[in-house]
Amino acid sequence: MSAGRFLAWVVLASIGPAIAALTTSALAQSLIAQATFSAMFALGVGLLLRQNGMVSFGHAAFFGLPGYMLGALLPLNLLPVEVMICATVVLIGILAFIIGLVIVRAHGIAFGMLTLAVGQAVYEAATRLRGLTGGNDGLSLRLPKHLFGLSLKTLQQPAGMLTVSWLVMVAMLAIVSVFAASRFGILTEAIRDNEERARFLGYRTLLPRAAVLGLSAAVTAVGGVMFALYNAFISPDNVHWTASGSALIMAILGGSGAPWGPVAGAFVYFFLKESLDSFTTHWLSIIGAALIIITVVFPAGLAGLVPWAIALRQREAHIARA
Amino acid sequence: MAIQLLNGLVYGALLFTVASGLALMFGLRRIVNFAHGSLYMLGAYIGYSASKLFGFWIGLIAAGACLAALGILLDGAVFRPLHRRGPLTTLLVTFGLALIAEDLVLAVWGKDTLSLAAPSVLARELSLFGTRFPAYRLMMIAFGAIAAIALLLWLKGTRVGLFVRAASYDPVVSAVQGINTDRVSALVVAVSAALAGMSGVVAAPLLSLAPSMASDILVDSFIVVVVGGLGSVGGAFITSLVLGQINVLGVVFMPELTALLPFFLMIAVLVWKPAGLAGERV
Repeated sequence: MSAGRFLAWVVLASIGPAIAALTTSALAQSLIAQATFSAMFALGVGLLLRQNGMVSFGHAAFFGLPGYMLGALLPLNLLPVEVMICATVVLIGILAFIIGLVIVRAHGIAFGMLTLAVGQAVYEAATRLRGLTGGNDGLSLRLPKHLFGLSLKTLQQPAGMLTVSWLVMVAMLAIVSVFAASRFGILTEAIRDNEERARFLGYRTLLPRAAVLGLSAAVTAVGGVMFALYNAFISPDNVHWTASGSALIMAILGGSGAPWGPVAGAFVYFFLKESLDSFTTHWLSIIGAALIIITVVFPAGLAGLVPWAIALRQREAHIARA
Repeated sequence: MAIQLLNGLVYGALLFTVASGLALMFGLRRIVNFAHGSLYMLGAYIGYSASKLFGFWIGLIAAGACLAALGILLDGAVFRPLHRRGPLTTLLVTFGLALIAEDLVLAVWGKDTLSLAAPSVLARELSLFGTRFPAYRLMMIAFGAIAAIALLLWLKGTRVGLFVRAASYDPVVSAVQGINTDRVSALVVAVSAALAGMSGVVAAPLLSLAPSMASDILVDSFIVVVVGGLGSVGGAFITSLVLGQINVLGVVFMPELTALLPFFLMIAVLVWKPAGLAGERV
């Protein structure tokens, strides 16, 4: 990694702690903390879109399940809480991989339809299995006083959570970036572009595609864990397909061309929603229209603005020289 | 038991009339219309308002006519221009349209649940197999059966039907043979939209109207077309009937798991046949 790149990562990582230290508004800090949860949610959705070329309408299941798993398993005191938290993320990844082995076999576009069905199955389970999930009332998490060496109070305070979740988010972004640039990441792009040719070159295509779904679900699950720790509460709303839809919109808004696109999209979505909510009740129409316009006119999203701006500057420089 | 089978048939018939439109559109254009549940919802709400003024049957016809017009608009403004952009673009754009449709319904009709009364002729119970069965539900089964027969005759007996079947079997070869999907697509989308809208009206007395009805039917219809085989109306027919029965039997025998059964069916079929029961044939 070049020094400049390393510096960029350090700067990115320090933005969150800086905001936590410099701002005093708990409301703003809380908003940004929540935006980081959504950013990880969207990062997972965007990873799937970028590496597999597939849209998911069911990722809320992977976002909400960690909360439900922790809520159901923590009272049993089977393992240290920290181990349990990490295990849920790994388990979600494995679960998604196994589901993936089945549903990525379907016709490309059918995948999106199937994720909707899988996601809603989890939602139905969350509302129906009252003994386990608390049904529509939701489930409170009983967390210990200390987690990973931090007091629970710190984690449930806007400034504390903002710092922790921001760093985790940057770490996730780094993992996704490394994955995307790796040999395996490039193989998945080849499969995305032409599965038949990739198979002809001698690669298995089913396992990599399912693995991308697994990784994408795990990244989303990390966001879900942060959400669950912060709120100590999970409800069926968090696993409803509309939550998946929002994350998909964030990923499209940010653009899946670059790994950071969905993260940027999540922040833009969050602050747009917050600022528009006081003016209008027609958020659904606004975001629906925005989705249509971006999809049709500017499919590269926010991430596409950077190469576009660079190209523009180069052209201007070229004209200036001539 | 026979009554349970009939109840399953009621939901199966409803699923078929909605899902068959999805299958037709996929067959012809290789697209998935995420706003299909919204067409069903809009039909139900338009039918609700129209039947307040003119009675149920006029309401049903009005909803069908409005939705057919909307279908022509949808084809001309969305499916046709985006034809070359790949199915993902259409999926996302129709997702955006579904959000707008939900907002529209919220703004015009509000978020409260509305109910539409069954027409007075059918608002009674018949005695069947020793128990009483609402006459209206028989009408729902009849509606599904009429739609199925009409679609069968249309697909097998007309030139447009031939085009649809050819395009869904192999879009490239049928295009080489000179089949212009653009020419029949407005009609196919209009028929699909009208079917979805009328299904919404027909379902309204039984299921009541709410803005969430769009996604409820969409999830089940997606399962139907994926399990039946994308683009296959025949596959959608069989899967709808099976899913209808599974729903009812689930409620009787394992109420907690009913909502998960369609999902298990879907997983089981996909493990066995990834392209769905009927492959990609109509």
